Amino acid sequence: MSDDDATPAGRSRRRFLAAAGVAGIAGLAGCNAFGDGDGTQRSDGGDQGGGTETAGGSDGGSAGQIGSGRSPFGDRQVSGGVSMTEMPDLSGELTLYSGRGEALVGELIAFIEDLYPDLTVRPRYNSAADLVNQLLTEGDASPADVFFSVNAGSLGALADEGLTRELPSEVLEMVPDAFHDPDGQWVGTSGRARTIPYNTNAYAESEIPDDIMAFPETEAFADDVGWAPTYSSFQAFVTAMRVLEGEEATRQWLTGMQDLGVSEYSDEFLVSQAVADGEVSVGFANHYYIQRVLAGRPNAPIATAFTSGDAGAIFNVAGAAALDTAEDPDLAANFVRHLLSAEAQDYFARTTFEYPLVPGVDPIGRLPPIDELNPPEELDLTQLSDLEGTISLMRDVGVL
Amino acid sequence: MATDQDQHTEPGTDLPVGTTVASAAVAAAVVLPLLWLVRTGLTVGFDEAVALLTRPTTVQVFVNSAALVAAVTGLSVLLGVPLAYLTVRTDVPFPRLCTVAVSLPLVIPSYIGAFAFVSAFGPNGALKRLLAPLGVETLPEIYGFPGAVLVLTLYTYPYVYITARASLLSFDTTLVDAARTLRHSRWETFRRVEVPQIRPAVAAGALLVALYTLSDFGTPAIMRFDAFTRVIYVEFNAFGRETATLLSLQLVAVTFLILGLESLVRGDERGGAGGRSRDTVRLGRWRYPALALPAAVAALALVVPLGILLTWFGQGASDVGRSLAFRPEYVLNSVGVSAAAALAATVAALPVAYLAARHRTPLTAVFERVTYVGYAVPGVVLGLALVFFGTQYATPVYQTIYLLVFAYVIRFLPQAVGSMRASFLRVDPSLPEAARTLGSSPPTAFRRVTLPLIAPGLFGGAALVFLTTMKELPATLLLRPSGFKTLVVHIWSAYASGYFGHAAVPALILLGVSALSMLVIISQEGYNVK
Repeated sequence: MSDDDATPAGRSRRRFLAAAGVAGIAGLAGCNAFGDGDGTQRSDGGDQGGGTETAGGSDGGSAGQIGSGRSPFGDRQVSGGVSMTEMPDLSGELTLYSGRGEALVGELIAFIEDLYPDLTVRPRYNSAADLVNQLLTEGDASPADVFFSVNAGSLGALADEGLTRELPSEVLEMVPDAFHDPDGQWVGTSGRARTIPYNTNAYAESEIPDDIMAFPETEAFADDVGWAPTYSSFQAFVTAMRVLEGEEATRQWLTGMQDLGVSEYSDEFLVSQAVADGEVSVGFANHYYIQRVLAGRPNAPIATAFTSGDAGAIFNVAGAAALDTAEDPDLAANFVRHLLSAEAQDYFARTTFEYPLVPGVDPIGRLPPIDELNPPEELDLTQLSDLEGTISLMRDVGVL
Repeated sequence: MATDQDQHTEPGTDLPVGTTVASAAVAAAVVLPLLWLVRTGLTVGFDEAVALLTRPTTVQVFVNSAALVAAVTGLSVLLGVPLAYLTVRTDVPFPRLCTVAVSLPLVIPSYIGAFAFVSAFGPNGALKRLLAPLGVETLPEIYGFPGAVLVLTLYTYPYVYITARASLLSFDTTLVDAARTLRHSRWETFRRVEVPQIRPAVAAGALLVALYTLSDFGTPAIMRFDAFTRVIYVEFNAFGRETATLLSLQLVAVTFLILGLESLVRGDERGGAGGRSRDTVRLGRWRYPALALPAAVAALALVVPLGILLTWFGQGASDVGRSLAFRPEYVLNSVGVSAAAALAATVAALPVAYLAARHRTPLTAVFERVTYVGYAVPGVVLGLALVFFGTQYATPVYQTIYLLVFAYVIRFLPQAVGSMRASFLRVDPSLPEAARTLGSSPPTAFRRVTLPLIAPGLFGGAALVFLTTMKELPATLLLRPSGFKTLVVHIWSAYASGYFGHAAVPALILLGVSALSMLVIISQEGYNVK
């Protein structure tokens, strides 16, 4: 009968080995945490980009740049916009529910907390959907003050439930009217445009149709298109098509694309990489994924095409809202104001290649300025919160 | 000599009052927060509910989940029982090493396993890149039903393995000898003598596998398989809490079905100690080839994720400033909160397991079965239920460690209950009775006689709760205090932002610490009572 599992010698030997293994790994962890690796391989992720961060220099009447001014597309200084130093001071305790990742927001919060010694920010990171569900469940007893999210749909969902508080008009006026809620319940902080990444070895820009509804009929793209139907921005795009063109036309578009032959990827960074690799020649992605590919591979044969005035050209915004349950509504509103400062807008542009919404702060990368874009004018961004209808349509057609 | 202990309580015998009240309190505490589920799910209008539940896609997805659960459970049993038999009853070389290697896959969270398999075998995976120079163009599809079954089986079969092994270790092998003297072959002996004896233990392990598969979110999502949980996930993402909770209620109903099935399969449990003989199956020339089975299983389940993690580690972590840097306090947070959960679960499970083992009446059976509800509900649903409970009724503890530990207890209590119940069953009741006749009061008899005898089950259950709490993600994200980061939360935030290099080290540490607790589990299981 074998009972040697229970012998003291066997037990202590195993424990020693296990302890040694853990100690070894912990030691490795210590070394790695302070080490400086090179080259990252990020194949997906919501909204993070490159950029190295160390303390930067200051520039006249500004609070300094968040992180260094370096970016893969060339250095720059903060210019334009309203500096944080010209905004009301922040003090007290703020609870932030952030659907945007810690890698991005953490840096920004650290910068703001350093600027205002009396301010403590308590951030809570989770996906935007989970946070919205949490806020809806918490109701009046929620400890949250500000909600920061990566898409307008979640902001709209909160506004519809009456959980947001109207922002002061000076904050709303910092961005053009199209980029904040008509009722002032939330304000956009940075934008992302829907684009068509295309492989420059296969097509010239003029060969890409500028009407999104023409894509299923473009025979040249047969079996040569990539998309990511489970990705939230793609679903927002389909929602926009439903709003602008109607349910039936959207259904036909989806079926048409499937008949044309489309490859599925799990997110749009992979779509853009596939376009750059030549796996497919054309895709559907947010504009910053193309810039991220180019940041990693400056000579990649990929460029950005835009459609005009339709669902394929929607300009969605990340934004913030002050919540009804905020203990100090002024602090909440002023924190949101700081997200629209020159430093913060410049930071978003450099870190994630998004479009700053404050006039005067330019985007980074090979992008047209924001006024040259042609998003559909009749679309209200909060209508993009009707995801349920989109999901059921996509499921019905067999795309999801 | 085998003794046949009849553990049933005679009708009319009183249940011990204190223990019953404690047991009822535990059962109520575990179920109460889930009433939110019922409340929210039922706010969906009746017509809409019927339409939702009978929608072709819902039915299709339900069938998918049923098929997934059946396949994973069946394969886990087919894998776990032979492996247990191999390592316990045969003379296979290196039995201890085999045991450890075969149990280790349990420490790997299934979503990490799923992601590793996709990274390795997917269309853009490492294996494809390795084989491309050799001219291999396409690999078998890893996504979909086969992939989901493979990943889930690999990371849940240890439940069956551990319980089957414990049962085989405390098996009364004199029965086997008796059967062999009556000229039964090995296979017949196995079928007629050993299977009925280990059936309850295997059923308990299979139950854990089935319920885990039913409620797992991550793996079906990553493997792109349309399981029920994926539908719930999509609904939550579209902010449809009511419909999502309604679908979760459907899951709970299926749980009760599975629990009923397990009761049937479990059959008549026999407890009590038995004798042991020196019976081992001699494998002869199959001794070393038999190693291929545990080696292959362990290699597939362990090498793939470890390999992928080491690749990320090798790629290095980019400098992203202080936000994503790993801090040792994350390990302390993880270990601390998991240890607290293990302790609380053990204490809570004690009365429930005792009653379920010693005084089997319908009431005590209900208490025991009810603890499984928390295990089968998806983590995000449980999280939201406790968010509601916390903000409405228990505001001081909302977003504190206490509510978080409570969530873990609700979630993982059945693991402790099952382990302890098996232990209680193995204790010969005549021993504490003897203590009573010698003048000890019931609590003293329990403390001095029963407790040391069930200690292995106690530690085994605690270690299992510790292990699964270390891996838990969705409820943690919802209920943790803001700024409280555990290892899995750090891994998730690094992974969600695409900084895989930063996820590698905490993941490896997680595996290391979990492996330690796994060693405790397998060293304590199968304690033999003579």
